[in-house]
Amino acid sequence: MRSQFRARIRLILVCVVLVALFMFARLYSLQVMQGDDYAQKADRQFASGGSGLFDRGSVYFTRKDGTLISAATLATGFLVAINPQTLLDPEAAYVAITAISSSTVSHDAFAAAAAKKTRVYIEVAHRISEERGRALAAQKIPGVQVLRERWRYYPGGPLAAQTVGIVSYGSGDMLVGQTGLEAMYDGTLSRSGDALYKNFFAELFSNVGNLFVDARDAREGDIVTTIEPEVQTRLSDDMMKVNLRYGSKESGGIIMIPSTGAIIALTNYPWYDGNDLQDINPNILGNPLIEHIYEFGSIMKPLTMAAALDAGVITPQTTYTDTGCIVVNNFKICNWDLKARGAIPMNQIIVQSLNIGAAWVATQLGQEKFREYFTALFGQKTGIDLPNETGALLGNLSKPQQVGYDTAAFGQGIAMTPLQMVRALGALANGGAMVQPHLVSAIRLNSGIERKLDWSAETPVFSAEAARATVEMMSKLVDTVLEGGKAKIPTMSVAGKTGTAQLTDGRGGYSTDRFFHSFVGFFPAYDPRFIILLYTNDPEGVKYASETLNSTFLDLVHFLINYYAVPPDRGLSTDSGASPRTTTPQ
Amino acid sequence: MLHKVRLHLSFSLVSLCVGATAVLAVAYIGLIAVVMSYATLTVEFSQSVRNNEAAVAVLESEYLASVARITHTDYVAAGYALPATKIFVPVKSVTALR
Repeated sequence: MRSQFRARIRLILVCVVLVALFMFARLYSLQVMQGDDYAQKADRQFASGGSGLFDRGSVYFTRKDGTLISAATLATGFLVAINPQTLLDPEAAYVAITAISSSTVSHDAFAAAAAKKTRVYIEVAHRISEERGRALAAQKIPGVQVLRERWRYYPGGPLAAQTVGIVSYGSGDMLVGQTGLEAMYDGTLSRSGDALYKNFFAELFSNVGNLFVDARDAREGDIVTTIEPEVQTRLSDDMMKVNLRYGSKESGGIIMIPSTGAIIALTNYPWYDGNDLQDINPNILGNPLIEHIYEFGSIMKPLTMAAALDAGVITPQTTYTDTGCIVVNNFKICNWDLKARGAIPMNQIIVQSLNIGAAWVATQLGQEKFREYFTALFGQKTGIDLPNETGALLGNLSKPQQVGYDTAAFGQGIAMTPLQMVRALGALANGGAMVQPHLVSAIRLNSGIERKLDWSAETPVFSAEAARATVEMMSKLVDTVLEGGKAKIPTMSVAGKTGTAQLTDGRGGYSTDRFFHSFVGFFPAYDPRFIILLYTNDPEGVKYASETLNSTFLDLVHFLINYYAVPPDRGLSTDSGASPRTTTPQ
Repeated sequence: MLHKVRLHLSFSLVSLCVGATAVLAVAYIGLIAVVMSYATLTVEFSQSVRNNEAAVAVLESEYLASVARITHTDYVAAGYALPATKIFVPVKSVTALR
């Protein structure tokens, strides 16, 4: 009896062992030996989430309340492919496909594809919406496959397109970031295709550790930018209007928080839509704000002034005799209106934008000191998290001719990127220290951890006293000169400066009728929340930046004050029982 | 000695090993089944997340388009008049500012 029982137990055990061995062998065969084949077959299933689908992390804008809005994400839909071997009625299939997709191949191309009977898979339409794709699949047309597809999608279209960048096929068959943040953070945004097809059985033989801890989770993620979508929209719209109104070659701007370097908006028109790159001009794919250099003109004067104040060679009370024009190294330098002012104080160099005054300050500073300050301001790239940043052109400051320093003092003869310029001018708004401009504040890793990026490094250039004295001059300009004094905001101090630079004529000289206009300003002047740099390149029919950019700058200031509810920093106190200030609008 | 030990066991050592192996194999297969189910669910959830993200992206696109449309609107051309006066909010107190 006992031996019979034991025999039965052994028989059952043998059966279990045999079944286990069979399943073991079958699993090995399916997952290890034929794993790739089955993965490919799965990809071609109607609703599979296979490794063949494009996958990539998202790029986010950050609204003022911290809400994240996608700047770059993935769209999901379908593609249509045909199998010429099983396609019974090509004409009917073509009619059905064109009914749901406008992006399908031409009739001739479709007929040619259908005639390739040696092929089993030819894609004929892409980026088909969910509803249309399902509708086509429901028709169950023989030889027509409706397959899952994902593609890069930019919900804002052209919004900050040059900053966000694009993805495209590089040297291989992988979609990779080519420009902008897509390229800069490609290592974070790109995805390993087999993330979802983790093969337990195969991993057990090859890499047990990957089953529990995936190194990719510490590398792959989404990126969170500092760009505020509504401010970005406003800046983009304003600069487009400037460009169209004056027929400029290009117009752009940057809005940055001067105390942190966080850029909340930057744009350059003309731009492109990252969702439609069919007939795009490749010249506008880059980002001129960091790749192109310009001579900015008189917005350089506050930097010259701050350098001289910091060096102690002048004080705000220092006076000089303005003669209207001077000759330096056989070059004639004049004020914008050719007029002499006589003996006037330093602040008038900024308020009246006097080239002779700036040149005089540069002379007082001396070549070595001037070179020292301007190399500190522009000698290094900003290190912004965008690719292909260009360095400044400071060649004139390496030569002994004084004319190079005199012209550099009012922004001619040296060239830099708009980003370098806003960083340098931001030092005036930040107590004399330059900040690190940046676009990405954090990386949200797939592991769930949000990694904040550290951009806190500052480069001291001027003393706080020199910076403040210069800001007072710029603030006086806005209160008394800009728009004839009507630009003054009774409850908000605003510092600003216009710049008009002559463009080079391509023959080693400067054009007399083509200009580069710029405007820089920040507010509240003595504890700034925002610094704004605007420019328009080669506007038609206007000479001075005050004509093209004043109103745009002032509109942006009022917009930002309202949008961020920036509290007033001057004006009447409620404690005194005074009534609100009323002004007539400009 | 061995003979004495064998007397005390109700089954053979071979049976014990075979039994243990079988139990481990079945447990292993069960584990694989769990992992495969997990992988299947992961794929489905991932697809679901992607679909939801795509749906959110459409909403975000509509939001950004609305912002662009509002920003681009010329209110004067739309019939609105410029304000006759502007009233600025006075400073509340010095300490409230900095």
